[in-house]
Amino acid sequence: MATQIVMDHTGDTRHYFNADDTKALSQAEERFKLLTTLGFTGAVRDAAGETAVTRSFDPTAEETLFFPRLVGG
Amino acid sequence: MFPQPVVSATLYLGRLLAEGARKVQAVRERYRAIEDIREARGITLLREWLSPEQQAQFDASKSFNVVGCDTGKRYRIRHGTGTNVHEIDDAGRPVMGWCFVPSGPLVAGDVMLAQKIALETDERAALAVANRFPVHVPGQTNPPALSRRAY
Repeated sequence: MATQIVMDHTGDTRHYFNADDTKALSQAEERFKLLTTLGFTGAVRDAAGETAVTRSFDPTAEETLFFPRLVGG
Repeated sequence: MFPQPVVSATLYLGRLLAEGARKVQAVRERYRAIEDIREARGITLLREWLSPEQQAQFDASKSFNVVGCDTGKRYRIRHGTGTNVHEIDDAGRPVMGWCFVPSGPLVAGDVMLAQKIALETDERAALAVANRFPVHVPGQTNPPALSRRAY
């Protein structure tokens, strides 16, 4: 199962979906677009553990993490 | 001697106050338990995304080091939700503080993870929104001047 993890006030909310399911994949893509529109940044990890920011939906990503826009503290 | 009605009223009031205090305490404990769960979820997520070396550092000191992807500078991210990112020198001493956080009410683990990813993947953008703050450096009498958006 692929996962989209969204940081929020509860710690995080996880959305699991089957990447082989067209409808579920479409919903995941919609969620990606909505979150990035809201200012969230999406990040993915490769098998070696290297992290990269992703600006477009990657249907092959096993795990995508979203964190809110950064601001000066 | 007090009349019986006064004694009864006093006892009733005492019981009422005790019951109220118990309820407030219960709510407080429930709130604290929810906070603890939130904090634990944040730390769990953070640990999932840390490298093995960073995990070891975090276990030992509640902080870990990252290398900025653009400048190669090193930063130490300490446990916290603000003013917790320090640029460090080769000896590991803090030389400058950088304050930037994800917006919204997030727990410490989430904040630290967002800071780590930002520095490792888009350091310039992170520092562009950050505010600098001086940190105490042993042997240095004059702290560096503050400046905003200085990167």
